[in-house]
Amino acid sequence: MMLNKNIYFKELKLHRTSFIAWCLSIMVLILLDMALYPILMKDDFLKQLSVIFENPFLKGLMSAFGATLDGFVNVLGFYTARNTMFILLLGSFFSILIAGKILSQEEHEKTAEFLLTKPVTRSEVVWSKLVAYFSLLLTLNIVILITGFISIEIFKGDSEYRLAAFLIHTFYCFLLMLTVGAMGLFLSLWIKRGRPTTNISIGIIIGGYFIDAASKVTPKLDIIGYLSPFKYVDSSVLSPDYGLMWWRILYFLAISLLLFTLTFIIYKKKDILI
Amino acid sequence: MIETQNLTKSYGKDRGIVDLNLEIESGEIFGFIGPNGAGKSTTIRTLLGLIFPTSGGGSIFGLDIVKKTKDIKKQIGYMPAEINYYHKMDVRELLDYSADFYDMDCRSRIEELADIFALDLDRKILDLSRGNQKKIAILQSLIHRPKLLILDEPTTSLDPLMRAKFFDILTEENSRGTTIFFSSHTLNEVQKLCRRVGIIKEGRIIAVENIETLRKKQLRIVQIEFSHPVKTDEIDCGGVIDPSAHLNSLNFMFSGEVNTLLQVLKEKEIKDLIIEEPTLEEIFMHYYEDKSEKERD
Repeated sequence: MMLNKNIYFKELKLHRTSFIAWCLSIMVLILLDMALYPILMKDDFLKQLSVIFENPFLKGLMSAFGATLDGFVNVLGFYTARNTMFILLLGSFFSILIAGKILSQEEHEKTAEFLLTKPVTRSEVVWSKLVAYFSLLLTLNIVILITGFISIEIFKGDSEYRLAAFLIHTFYCFLLMLTVGAMGLFLSLWIKRGRPTTNISIGIIIGGYFIDAASKVTPKLDIIGYLSPFKYVDSSVLSPDYGLMWWRILYFLAISLLLFTLTFIIYKKKDILI
Repeated sequence: MIETQNLTKSYGKDRGIVDLNLEIESGEIFGFIGPNGAGKSTTIRTLLGLIFPTSGGGSIFGLDIVKKTKDIKKQIGYMPAEINYYHKMDVRELLDYSADFYDMDCRSRIEELADIFALDLDRKILDLSRGNQKKIAILQSLIHRPKLLILDEPTTSLDPLMRAKFFDILTEENSRGTTIFFSSHTLNEVQKLCRRVGIIKEGRIIAVENIETLRKKQLRIVQIEFSHPVKTDEIDCGGVIDPSAHLNSLNFMFSGEVNTLLQVLKEKEIKDLIIEEPTLEEIFMHYYEDKSEKERD
Protein backbone atom coordinates (compact mmCIF):
# COMPACT_ATOMS: atom_id res chain seq x y z
CA MET A 1 0.00 0.00 0.00
CA MET A 2 1.28 3.42 -0.90
CA LEU A 3 1.46 6.38 1.41
CA ASN A 4 0.58 9.59 -0.36
CA LYS A 5 2.92 12.11 1.27
CA ASN A 6 0.86 14.99 -0.02
CA ILE A 7 -2.25 13.81 1.85
CA TYR A 8 -0.25 12.74 4.91
CA PHE A 9 1.42 16.11 5.47
CA LYS A 10 -1.73 18.06 4.69
CA GLU A 11 -3.57 16.01 7.32
CA LEU A 12 -0.88 16.66 9.93
CA LYS A 13 -0.97 20.34 9.15
CA LEU A 14 -4.74 20.43 9.43
CA HIS A 15 -4.65 19.10 13.00
CA ARG A 16 -1.47 20.89 14.06
CA THR A 17 -2.99 23.64 16.19
CA SER A 18 -5.55 21.51 17.97
CA PHE A 19 -2.96 18.80 18.52
CA ILE A 20 -0.59 21.22 20.23
CA ALA A 21 -3.46 22.44 22.40
CA TRP A 22 -4.30 18.87 23.45
CA CYS A 23 -0.65 18.12 24.23
CA LEU A 24 -0.19 21.26 26.30
CA SER A 25 -3.39 20.72 28.32
CA ILE A 26 -2.44 17.16 29.08
CA MET A 27 1.11 18.13 30.06
CA VAL A 28 -0.09 20.89 32.39
CA LEU A 29 -2.68 18.58 33.92
CA ILE A 30 -0.12 15.86 34.64
CA LEU A 31 2.35 18.29 36.17
CA LEU A 32 -0.22 20.12 38.32
CA ASP A 33 -1.67 16.84 39.46
CA MET A 34 1.65 15.35 40.44
CA ALA A 35 2.56 18.57 42.25
CA LEU A 36 -0.27 17.68 44.65
CA TYR A 37 1.41 14.43 45.59
CA PRO A 38 4.06 15.80 47.99
CA ILE A 39 1.42 18.04 49.61
CA LEU A 40 -1.00 15.15 50.17
CA MET A 41 1.75 12.99 51.60
CA LYS A 42 2.38 15.32 54.52
CA ASP A 43 1.30 13.65 57.77
CA ASP A 44 -1.93 15.48 58.54
CA PHE A 45 -3.35 15.12 55.04
CA LEU A 46 -2.70 11.42 55.04
CA LYS A 47 -4.70 11.04 58.26
CA GLN A 48 -7.62 12.89 56.76
CA LEU A 49 -7.41 10.67 53.73
CA SER A 50 -7.57 7.52 55.84
CA VAL A 51 -10.81 8.84 57.39
CA ILE A 52 -12.31 8.98 53.91
CA PHE A 53 -11.27 5.44 53.17
CA GLU A 54 -12.83 4.16 56.42
CA ASN A 55 -16.28 5.23 55.25
CA PRO A 56 -17.59 2.22 53.27
CA PHE A 57 -19.58 4.35 50.83
CA LEU A 58 -16.72 6.66 50.07
CA LYS A 59 -14.36 3.72 49.87
CA GLY A 60 -16.56 2.14 47.21
CA LEU A 61 -16.74 5.42 45.36
CA MET A 62 -13.00 5.93 45.46
CA SER A 63 -12.32 2.43 44.25
CA ALA A 64 -14.61 3.06 41.31
CA PHE A 65 -11.99 5.52 40.21
CA GLY A 66 -9.19 3.11 40.90
CA ALA A 67 -8.03 4.67 44.14
CA THR A 68 -7.14 2.86 47.33
CA LEU A 69 -5.32 4.33 50.30
CA ASP A 70 -2.27 2.13 49.76
CA GLY A 71 -2.35 3.04 46.11
CA PHE A 72 -2.45 6.73 46.88
CA VAL A 73 0.55 6.57 49.15
CA ASN A 74 2.85 5.21 46.47
CA VAL A 75 3.92 7.69 43.83
CA LEU A 76 3.14 5.39 40.90
CA GLY A 77 -0.15 4.36 42.49
CA PHE A 78 -1.04 8.02 42.82
CA TYR A 79 0.02 8.78 39.25
CA THR A 80 -1.90 5.82 37.85
CA ALA A 81 -5.10 6.59 39.75
CA ARG A 82 -5.04 10.19 38.58
CA ASN A 83 -3.77 9.25 35.13
CA THR A 84 -6.64 6.83 34.64
CA MET A 85 -9.10 9.45 35.69
CA PHE A 86 -7.97 12.39 33.55
CA ILE A 87 -5.28 11.54 31.06
CA LEU A 88 -6.79 8.31 29.81
CA LEU A 89 -10.13 10.01 29.41
CA LEU A 90 -8.70 13.02 27.59
CA GLY A 91 -6.47 10.86 25.41
CA SER A 92 -9.45 8.71 24.44
CA PHE A 93 -11.47 11.78 23.54
CA PHE A 94 -8.61 13.06 21.40
CA SER A 95 -8.21 9.73 19.65
CA ILE A 96 -11.88 9.03 18.91
CA LEU A 97 -12.54 12.60 17.75
CA ILE A 98 -9.56 12.82 15.40
CA ALA A 99 -10.07 9.33 13.99
CA GLY A 100 -13.76 10.04 13.50
CA LYS A 101 -12.85 13.10 11.45
CA ILE A 102 -10.05 12.04 9.13
CA LEU A 103 -12.35 10.62 6.47
CA SER A 104 -15.76 12.07 7.26
CA GLN A 105 -14.69 15.70 7.43
CA GLU A 106 -13.76 15.63 3.74
CA GLU A 107 -17.27 14.45 2.97
CA HIS A 108 -18.95 16.85 5.35
CA GLU A 109 -17.08 19.86 4.02
CA LYS A 110 -17.44 18.44 0.51
CA THR A 111 -13.71 18.60 -0.14
CA ALA A 112 -13.86 14.87 -0.91
CA GLU A 113 -14.93 15.87 -4.40
CA PHE A 114 -11.58 17.62 -4.80
CA LEU A 115 -9.48 14.92 -3.16
CA LEU A 116 -11.06 11.88 -4.81
CA THR A 117 -10.86 13.31 -8.31
CA LYS A 118 -7.07 13.53 -7.97
CA PRO A 119 -5.01 10.53 -9.09
CA VAL A 120 -5.19 8.57 -5.84
CA THR A 121 -6.89 5.31 -4.95
CA ARG A 122 -9.34 5.13 -2.08
CA SER A 123 -6.95 2.81 -0.24
CA GLU A 124 -4.16 5.35 -0.53
CA VAL A 125 -6.45 8.00 0.92
CA VAL A 126 -7.41 5.82 3.90
CA TRP A 127 -3.85 4.65 4.46
CA SER A 128 -2.29 8.13 4.29
CA LYS A 129 -4.86 9.56 6.68
CA LEU A 130 -4.63 6.59 9.01
CA VAL A 131 -0.85 6.92 9.23
CA ALA A 132 -1.27 10.64 9.96
CA TYR A 133 -3.73 9.82 12.76
CA PHE A 134 -1.39 7.15 14.07
CA SER A 135 1.53 9.60 14.06
CA LEU A 136 -0.46 12.07 16.11
CA LEU A 137 -1.64 9.45 18.59
CA LEU A 138 1.86 8.07 19.00
CA THR A 139 3.32 11.53 19.51
CA LEU A 140 0.67 12.34 22.11
CA ASN A 141 1.53 9.16 23.99
CA ILE A 142 5.23 9.93 23.88
CA VAL A 143 4.43 13.34 25.32
CA ILE A 144 2.38 11.67 28.08
CA LEU A 145 5.18 9.17 28.73
CA ILE A 146 7.88 11.81 29.05
CA THR A 147 5.79 14.27 31.06
CA GLY A 148 4.60 11.44 33.32
CA PHE A 149 8.11 10.16 33.91
CA ILE A 150 9.55 13.61 34.61
CA SER A 151 6.73 14.61 36.94
CA ILE A 152 7.01 11.34 38.89
CA GLU A 153 10.77 11.82 39.23
CA ILE A 154 10.38 15.41 40.39
CA PHE A 155 7.69 14.79 42.99
CA LYS A 156 8.30 11.22 44.17
CA GLY A 157 10.18 12.15 47.37
CA ASP A 158 10.97 8.93 49.27
CA SER A 159 8.47 6.80 47.38
CA GLU A 160 9.84 3.95 45.26
CA TYR A 161 8.30 2.55 42.09
CA ARG A 162 8.96 0.08 39.27
CA LEU A 163 9.74 1.82 36.01
CA ALA A 164 8.52 -1.24 34.08
CA ALA A 165 5.09 -0.95 35.70
CA PHE A 166 4.88 2.70 34.64
CA LEU A 167 5.84 1.83 31.06
CA ILE A 168 3.41 -1.07 30.82
CA HIS A 169 0.53 1.00 32.12
CA THR A 170 1.29 3.77 29.65
CA PHE A 171 1.36 1.17 26.88
CA TYR A 172 -2.06 -0.17 27.89
CA CYS A 173 -3.42 3.38 27.79
CA PHE A 174 -2.01 3.82 24.29
CA LEU A 175 -3.69 0.61 23.14
CA LEU A 176 -7.00 1.74 24.59
CA MET A 177 -6.77 5.08 22.77
CA LEU A 178 -5.97 3.25 19.55
CA THR A 179 -8.98 0.97 19.98
CA VAL A 180 -11.48 3.76 20.62
CA GLY A 181 -9.95 5.60 17.64
CA ALA A 182 -10.67 2.58 15.45
CA MET A 183 -14.24 2.63 16.77
CA GLY A 184 -14.59 6.33 15.98
CA LEU A 185 -13.29 5.90 12.44
CA PHE A 186 -15.47 2.89 11.73
CA LEU A 187 -18.52 4.66 13.12
CA SER A 188 -17.94 7.76 11.00
CA LEU A 189 -18.28 5.66 7.81
CA TRP A 190 -21.93 5.01 8.51
CA ILE A 191 -23.03 8.59 8.94
CA LYS A 192 -24.50 9.98 5.76
CA ARG A 193 -22.62 12.85 4.12
CA GLY A 194 -19.96 12.69 6.82
CA ARG A 195 -21.85 14.56 9.51
CA PRO A 196 -19.73 14.88 12.67
CA THR A 197 -19.85 11.97 15.09
CA THR A 198 -18.79 14.07 18.07
CA ASN A 199 -21.85 13.34 20.22
CA ILE A 200 -21.83 9.59 19.70
CA SER A 201 -18.06 9.50 20.21
CA ILE A 202 -18.25 11.35 23.51
CA GLY A 203 -21.08 9.02 24.49
CA ILE A 204 -18.95 5.96 23.80
CA ILE A 205 -16.08 7.26 25.93
CA ILE A 206 -18.20 8.45 28.88
CA GLY A 207 -20.34 5.30 28.71
CA GLY A 208 -17.33 2.99 28.55
CA TYR A 209 -15.65 4.84 31.35
CA PHE A 210 -18.59 4.67 33.72
CA ILE A 211 -19.40 1.03 33.00
CA ASP A 212 -15.82 0.26 33.96
CA ALA A 213 -16.02 2.48 37.05
CA ALA A 214 -19.27 0.85 38.19
CA SER A 215 -17.80 -2.61 37.75
CA LYS A 216 -15.06 -1.77 40.23
CA VAL A 217 -17.42 -0.78 43.06
CA THR A 218 -18.59 -4.29 43.88
CA PRO A 219 -17.51 -7.73 42.65
CA LYS A 220 -21.13 -8.41 41.63
CA LEU A 221 -20.83 -5.90 38.83
CA ASP A 222 -17.39 -7.07 37.76
CA ILE A 223 -18.67 -9.01 34.77
CA ILE A 224 -20.44 -6.07 33.07
CA GLY A 225 -17.14 -4.20 33.11
CA TYR A 226 -15.93 -6.37 30.24
CA LEU A 227 -18.36 -4.58 27.94
CA SER A 228 -16.14 -1.54 28.26
CA PRO A 229 -12.72 -1.27 26.61
CA PHE A 230 -11.55 0.61 29.71
CA LYS A 231 -11.80 -2.62 31.69
CA TYR A 232 -8.94 -4.09 29.68
CA VAL A 233 -6.46 -1.49 30.90
CA ASP A 234 -4.81 -3.12 33.95
CA SER A 235 -4.27 -0.43 36.57
CA SER A 236 -3.04 -2.62 39.44
CA VAL A 237 0.46 -1.21 39.00
CA LEU A 238 1.45 -1.93 42.61
CA SER A 239 0.74 -5.63 42.40
CA PRO A 240 4.07 -7.50 42.43
CA ASP A 241 3.22 -9.63 39.40
CA TYR A 242 2.00 -6.68 37.31
CA GLY A 243 2.99 -7.20 33.70
CA LEU A 244 1.78 -7.45 30.12
CA MET A 245 -1.10 -9.88 29.73
CA TRP A 246 -1.54 -11.38 26.29
CA TRP A 247 -5.33 -11.47 26.38
CA ARG A 248 -5.55 -7.75 27.16
CA ILE A 249 -3.18 -6.89 24.32
CA LEU A 250 -4.96 -9.30 21.99
CA TYR A 251 -8.30 -7.66 22.81
CA PHE A 252 -7.07 -4.19 21.87
CA LEU A 253 -5.13 -5.24 18.79
CA ALA A 254 -7.83 -7.56 17.46
CA ILE A 255 -10.57 -4.93 17.70
CA SER A 256 -8.38 -2.20 16.20
CA LEU A 257 -7.12 -4.36 13.37
CA LEU A 258 -10.59 -5.64 12.55
CA LEU A 259 -12.13 -2.16 12.47
CA PHE A 260 -9.27 -0.62 10.49
CA THR A 261 -9.45 -3.44 7.94
CA LEU A 262 -13.22 -3.07 7.61
CA THR A 263 -12.72 0.66 7.11
CA PHE A 264 -10.50 -0.02 4.09
CA ILE A 265 -12.99 -2.45 2.59
CA ILE A 266 -16.03 -0.25 3.14
CA TYR A 267 -14.44 3.03 2.07
CA LYS A 268 -13.24 1.45 -1.15
CA LYS A 269 -16.82 0.80 -2.20
CA LYS A 270 -18.50 3.77 -0.63
CA ASP A 271 -20.47 6.25 -2.71
CA ILE A 272 -19.26 9.73 -1.88
CA LEU A 273 -22.36 11.91 -1.94
CA ILE A 274 -21.65 15.58 -2.22
CA MET B 1 -12.23 8.85 -25.33
CA ILE B 2 -15.26 8.42 -23.06
CA GLU B 3 -17.59 5.48 -23.57
CA THR B 4 -20.41 4.22 -21.42
CA GLN B 5 -22.48 1.08 -21.87
CA ASN B 6 -25.91 1.05 -20.23
CA LEU B 7 -24.46 2.99 -17.34
CA THR B 8 -27.02 3.01 -14.56
CA LYS B 9 -26.89 4.52 -11.11
CA SER B 10 -29.82 4.53 -8.75
CA TYR B 11 -29.81 5.78 -5.20
CA GLY B 12 -32.64 4.22 -3.22
CA LYS B 13 -35.83 5.66 -4.63
CA ASP B 14 -34.13 8.45 -6.54
CA ARG B 15 -33.74 7.99 -10.24
CA GLY B 16 -30.10 8.80 -10.86
CA ILE B 17 -29.24 7.72 -14.40
CA VAL B 18 -30.66 4.89 -16.50
CA ASP B 19 -29.01 2.91 -19.32
CA LEU B 20 -26.76 5.75 -20.37
CA ASN B 21 -24.89 5.18 -23.61
CA LEU B 22 -22.44 7.89 -24.53
CA GLU B 23 -19.52 8.04 -26.85
CA ILE B 24 -17.27 11.06 -26.85
CA GLU B 25 -14.58 11.22 -29.46
CA SER B 26 -11.02 12.22 -28.88
CA GLY B 27 -10.42 15.92 -29.51
CA GLU B 28 -14.03 17.07 -29.54
CA ILE B 29 -15.91 19.52 -27.36
CA PHE B 30 -19.05 17.79 -26.22
CA GLY B 31 -21.92 19.62 -24.56
CA PHE B 32 -23.94 17.69 -22.01
CA ILE B 33 -27.24 19.46 -21.67
CA GLY B 34 -30.15 18.94 -19.33
CA PRO B 35 -32.26 20.69 -16.73
CA ASN B 36 -31.20 20.64 -13.07
CA GLY B 37 -31.68 17.20 -11.55
CA ALA B 38 -31.59 15.43 -14.91
CA GLY B 39 -28.52 13.38 -13.98
CA LYS B 40 -25.63 15.41 -15.36
CA SER B 41 -23.64 15.50 -12.15
CA THR B 42 -24.49 11.88 -11.38
CA THR B 43 -23.06 10.87 -14.76
CA ILE B 44 -19.90 12.88 -14.19
CA ARG B 45 -19.41 11.59 -10.64
CA THR B 46 -19.82 8.03 -11.83
CA LEU B 47 -17.25 8.60 -14.58
CA LEU B 48 -14.85 9.99 -11.97
CA GLY B 49 -15.34 7.16 -9.49
CA LEU B 50 -16.90 9.25 -6.72
CA ILE B 51 -19.92 6.99 -6.91
CA PHE B 52 -20.16 3.49 -8.34
CA PRO B 53 -22.49 2.26 -11.11
CA THR B 54 -25.44 0.10 -10.09
CA SER B 55 -25.15 -1.67 -13.44
CA GLY B 56 -23.51 -1.15 -16.79
CA GLY B 57 -20.09 0.41 -17.07
CA GLY B 58 -17.82 2.70 -18.90
CA SER B 59 -14.31 3.55 -19.89
CA ILE B 60 -12.16 6.64 -20.33
CA PHE B 61 -8.98 6.45 -22.47
CA GLY B 62 -9.97 2.79 -22.87
CA LEU B 63 -9.55 2.23 -19.09
CA ASP B 64 -12.36 0.90 -16.91
CA ILE B 65 -13.92 3.69 -14.80
CA VAL B 66 -14.20 1.50 -11.70
CA LYS B 67 -10.97 -0.50 -11.83
CA LYS B 68 -8.53 1.98 -13.34
CA THR B 69 -9.76 5.18 -11.80
CA LYS B 70 -6.33 6.33 -10.58
CA ASP B 71 -4.73 5.99 -14.01
CA ILE B 72 -7.65 7.78 -15.60
CA LYS B 73 -7.48 10.71 -13.18
CA LYS B 74 -3.83 11.37 -13.96
CA GLN B 75 -5.00 12.73 -17.33
CA ILE B 76 -8.21 14.46 -16.26
CA GLY B 77 -8.94 18.00 -15.17
CA TYR B 78 -12.25 18.25 -13.34
CA MET B 79 -14.16 21.33 -12.44
CA PRO B 80 -17.09 20.68 -10.10
CA ALA B 81 -20.43 22.47 -10.22
CA GLU B 82 -20.16 23.61 -6.63
CA ILE B 83 -16.88 24.81 -5.27
CA ASN B 84 -15.87 23.46 -1.88
CA TYR B 85 -12.25 23.84 -0.89
CA TYR B 86 -10.30 23.69 2.35
CA HIS B 87 -11.25 26.94 4.08
CA LYS B 88 -8.02 27.34 6.00
CA MET B 89 -5.84 27.32 2.88
CA ASP B 90 -4.97 30.28 0.75
CA VAL B 91 -5.26 30.04 -3.02
CA ARG B 92 -1.60 29.25 -3.65
CA GLU B 93 -1.57 26.54 -1.00
CA LEU B 94 -4.59 24.85 -2.55
CA LEU B 95 -3.16 24.99 -6.06
CA ASP B 96 0.20 23.66 -4.85
CA TYR B 97 -1.60 20.89 -3.01
CA SER B 98 -3.51 20.09 -6.17
CA ALA B 99 -0.36 20.21 -8.32
CA ASP B 100 1.54 17.87 -5.99
CA PHE B 101 -0.76 15.02 -6.98
CA TYR B 102 0.66 15.06 -10.50
CA ASP B 103 4.23 14.24 -11.38
CA MET B 104 5.08 17.55 -12.96
CA ASP B 105 6.09 21.09 -12.15
CA CYS B 106 3.01 23.28 -12.51
CA ARG B 107 4.29 26.50 -10.95
CA SER B 108 4.75 28.54 -14.11
CA ARG B 109 1.36 27.43 -15.40
CA ILE B 110 -0.26 28.52 -12.11
CA GLU B 111 1.26 32.00 -12.40
CA GLU B 112 0.33 32.26 -16.06
CA LEU B 113 -3.32 31.31 -15.51
CA ALA B 114 -3.65 33.41 -12.35
CA ASP B 115 -2.54 36.33 -14.44
CA ILE B 116 -5.08 35.68 -17.19
CA PHE B 117 -7.96 35.36 -14.73
CA ALA B 118 -6.74 38.14 -12.43
CA LEU B 119 -6.74 35.83 -9.41
CA ASP B 120 -4.85 36.88 -6.28
CA LEU B 121 -2.94 33.79 -5.14
CA ASP B 122 -2.33 35.04 -1.61
CA ARG B 123 -5.93 35.44 -0.50
CA LYS B 124 -7.64 33.02 1.86
CA ILE B 125 -10.16 30.87 0.00
CA LEU B 126 -12.83 31.65 2.58
CA ASP B 127 -12.56 35.39 1.85
CA LEU B 128 -13.15 35.03 -1.88
CA SER B 129 -16.42 35.61 -3.72
CA ARG B 130 -18.18 32.76 -5.53
CA GLY B 131 -16.85 34.02 -8.84
CA ASN B 132 -13.27 34.06 -7.61
CA GLN B 133 -13.64 30.62 -6.09
CA LYS B 134 -14.82 29.45 -9.48
CA LYS B 135 -11.56 30.78 -10.94
CA ILE B 136 -9.60 28.61 -8.51
CA ALA B 137 -11.56 25.65 -9.84
CA ILE B 138 -10.69 26.62 -13.39
CA LEU B 139 -6.98 26.86 -12.56
CA GLN B 140 -7.06 23.68 -10.55
CA SER B 141 -8.51 21.78 -13.52
CA LEU B 142 -5.99 23.15 -16.02
CA ILE B 143 -2.57 23.38 -14.33
CA HIS B 144 -1.45 19.81 -15.04
CA ARG B 145 -2.30 20.01 -18.75
CA PRO B 146 -4.85 17.19 -18.79
CA LYS B 147 -5.88 15.31 -21.93
CA LEU B 148 -9.52 15.44 -20.92
CA LEU B 149 -11.39 18.25 -19.22
CA ILE B 150 -14.63 17.42 -17.44
CA LEU B 151 -16.46 20.61 -16.59
CA ASP B 152 -19.68 20.51 -14.60
CA GLU B 153 -21.63 23.72 -15.17
CA PRO B 154 -18.40 25.68 -15.31
CA THR B 155 -19.73 29.13 -16.10
CA THR B 156 -22.21 29.71 -13.27
CA SER B 157 -21.16 32.73 -11.19
CA LEU B 158 -18.57 33.84 -13.76
CA ASP B 159 -19.06 37.36 -15.09
CA PRO B 160 -19.31 37.79 -18.89
CA LEU B 161 -15.71 38.99 -19.21
CA MET B 162 -14.31 35.99 -17.35
CA ARG B 163 -16.64 33.69 -19.25
CA ALA B 164 -15.20 34.98 -22.51
CA LYS B 165 -11.63 34.49 -21.25
CA PHE B 166 -12.54 31.03 -20.05
CA PHE B 167 -14.00 30.10 -23.44
CA ASP B 168 -10.84 31.39 -25.12
CA ILE B 169 -8.73 29.15 -22.90
CA LEU B 170 -10.97 26.19 -23.66
CA THR B 171 -10.70 26.81 -27.40
CA GLU B 172 -6.93 27.06 -27.05
CA GLU B 173 -6.74 23.85 -25.02
CA ASN B 174 -8.95 22.11 -27.54
CA SER B 175 -6.78 23.18 -30.46
CA ARG B 176 -3.88 21.60 -28.55
CA GLY B 177 -5.83 18.33 -28.63
CA THR B 178 -7.61 18.38 -25.28
CA THR B 179 -11.02 16.73 -25.29
CA ILE B 180 -13.67 18.69 -23.40
CA PHE B 181 -16.82 17.35 -21.79
CA PHE B 182 -18.91 20.29 -20.77
CA SER B 183 -22.19 20.13 -18.87
CA SER B 184 -24.72 22.92 -18.77
CA HIS B 185 -28.41 23.44 -18.23
CA THR B 186 -28.70 25.81 -21.16
CA LEU B 187 -28.00 25.03 -24.76
CA ASN B 188 -27.34 28.65 -25.66
CA GLU B 189 -24.28 28.68 -23.48
CA VAL B 190 -22.55 25.78 -25.18
CA GLN B 191 -23.68 26.16 -28.77
CA LYS B 192 -20.82 28.48 -29.69
CA LEU B 193 -18.25 26.11 -28.30
CA CYS B 194 -19.53 22.60 -28.93
CA ARG B 195 -19.79 20.62 -32.10
CA ARG B 196 -22.04 17.96 -30.64
CA VAL B 197 -24.46 17.94 -27.73
CA GLY B 198 -26.06 15.16 -25.73
CA ILE B 199 -29.37 15.93 -24.14
CA ILE B 200 -30.24 14.23 -20.86
CA LYS B 201 -33.62 14.27 -19.23
CA GLU B 202 -34.84 12.37 -16.17
CA GLY B 203 -31.71 10.25 -16.17
CA ARG B 204 -31.89 9.18 -19.82
CA ILE B 205 -30.10 10.42 -22.89
CA ILE B 206 -32.83 11.54 -25.24
CA ALA B 207 -30.69 12.76 -28.11
CA VAL B 208 -27.15 13.21 -29.28
CA GLU B 209 -27.01 15.71 -32.11
CA ASN B 210 -24.72 17.93 -34.09
CA ILE B 211 -25.44 21.55 -33.26
CA GLU B 212 -25.84 22.21 -37.00
CA THR B 213 -28.41 19.44 -37.46
CA LEU B 214 -30.35 20.78 -34.53
CA ARG B 215 -30.36 24.24 -36.02
CA LYS B 216 -31.57 22.92 -39.36
CA LYS B 217 -34.62 21.22 -37.90
CA GLN B 218 -37.44 22.89 -39.82
CA LEU B 219 -39.18 23.92 -36.69
CA ARG B 220 -41.36 27.03 -36.58
CA ILE B 221 -43.33 28.79 -33.90
CA VAL B 222 -46.85 29.52 -35.17
CA GLN B 223 -49.31 31.96 -33.59
CA ILE B 224 -52.78 32.30 -35.12
CA GLU B 225 -55.54 34.73 -34.17
CA PHE B 226 -59.00 33.48 -35.18
CA SER B 227 -62.23 35.43 -35.33
CA HIS B 228 -63.89 32.91 -33.02
CA PRO B 229 -62.92 30.95 -29.88
CA VAL B 230 -60.80 27.90 -30.66
CA LYS B 231 -59.80 24.56 -29.16
CA THR B 232 -56.40 22.88 -29.43
CA ASP B 233 -57.64 20.51 -32.17
CA GLU B 234 -58.73 23.37 -34.43
CA ILE B 235 -55.97 22.69 -36.95
CA ASP B 236 -55.97 19.18 -38.36
CA CYS B 237 -52.58 18.95 -39.97
CA GLY B 238 -49.50 16.74 -39.57
CA GLY B 239 -46.56 18.39 -37.80
CA VAL B 240 -48.45 20.35 -35.15
CA ILE B 241 -46.62 20.01 -31.84
CA ASP B 242 -47.79 20.98 -28.41
CA PRO B 243 -50.77 23.21 -29.36
CA SER B 244 -52.20 25.56 -26.76
CA ALA B 245 -55.45 27.51 -27.17
CA HIS B 246 -56.57 30.63 -25.35
CA LEU B 247 -59.84 32.36 -26.39
CA ASN B 248 -59.37 33.21 -30.07
CA SER B 249 -55.68 32.47 -30.30
CA LEU B 250 -53.82 29.24 -30.95
CA ASN B 251 -50.08 28.70 -30.48
CA PHE B 252 -48.04 25.68 -31.53
CA MET B 253 -44.69 24.44 -32.84
CA PHE B 254 -44.77 23.20 -36.37
CA SER B 255 -42.42 20.69 -37.95
CA GLY B 256 -44.33 19.85 -41.17
CA GLU B 257 -44.55 21.42 -44.61
CA VAL B 258 -45.50 25.09 -44.39
CA ASN B 259 -47.43 24.76 -47.65
CA THR B 260 -49.71 22.07 -46.21
CA LEU B 261 -50.37 24.28 -43.20
CA LEU B 262 -51.32 27.18 -45.44
CA GLN B 263 -53.73 24.95 -47.38
CA VAL B 264 -55.47 24.05 -44.13
CA LEU B 265 -55.54 27.67 -42.99
CA LYS B 266 -57.16 28.79 -46.25
CA GLU B 267 -60.39 27.07 -45.16
CA LYS B 268 -60.39 28.96 -41.82
CA GLU B 269 -61.32 32.46 -40.91
CA ILE B 270 -58.20 33.93 -39.41
CA LYS B 271 -57.41 37.49 -38.36
CA ASP B 272 -53.67 37.26 -37.94
CA LEU B 273 -50.79 34.82 -38.49
CA ILE B 274 -47.23 34.88 -37.21
CA ILE B 275 -44.65 32.26 -38.22
CA GLU B 276 -41.17 32.64 -36.73
CA GLU B 277 -37.93 30.74 -36.20
CA PRO B 278 -37.46 29.49 -32.67
CA THR B 279 -34.25 29.84 -30.65
CA LEU B 280 -32.08 26.76 -30.32
CA GLU B 281 -33.25 26.53 -26.74
CA GLU B 282 -36.87 26.35 -27.80
CA ILE B 283 -36.08 23.75 -30.43
CA PHE B 284 -34.83 21.26 -27.97
CA MET B 285 -37.26 22.17 -25.22
CA HIS B 286 -40.25 21.44 -27.44
CA TYR B 287 -38.90 18.96 -29.90
CA TYR B 288 -37.22 16.68 -27.40
CA GLU B 289 -39.70 17.00 -24.57
CA ASP B 290 -42.34 15.86 -27.02
CA LYS B 291 -40.17 13.06 -28.36
CA SER B 292 -39.27 11.69 -24.95
CA GLU B 293 -42.90 11.70 -23.86
CA LYS B 294 -43.94 9.76 -26.95
CA GLU B 295 -41.18 7.24 -26.37
CA ARG B 296 -42.36 6.64 -22.85
CA ASP B 297 -45.94 6.08 -24.04
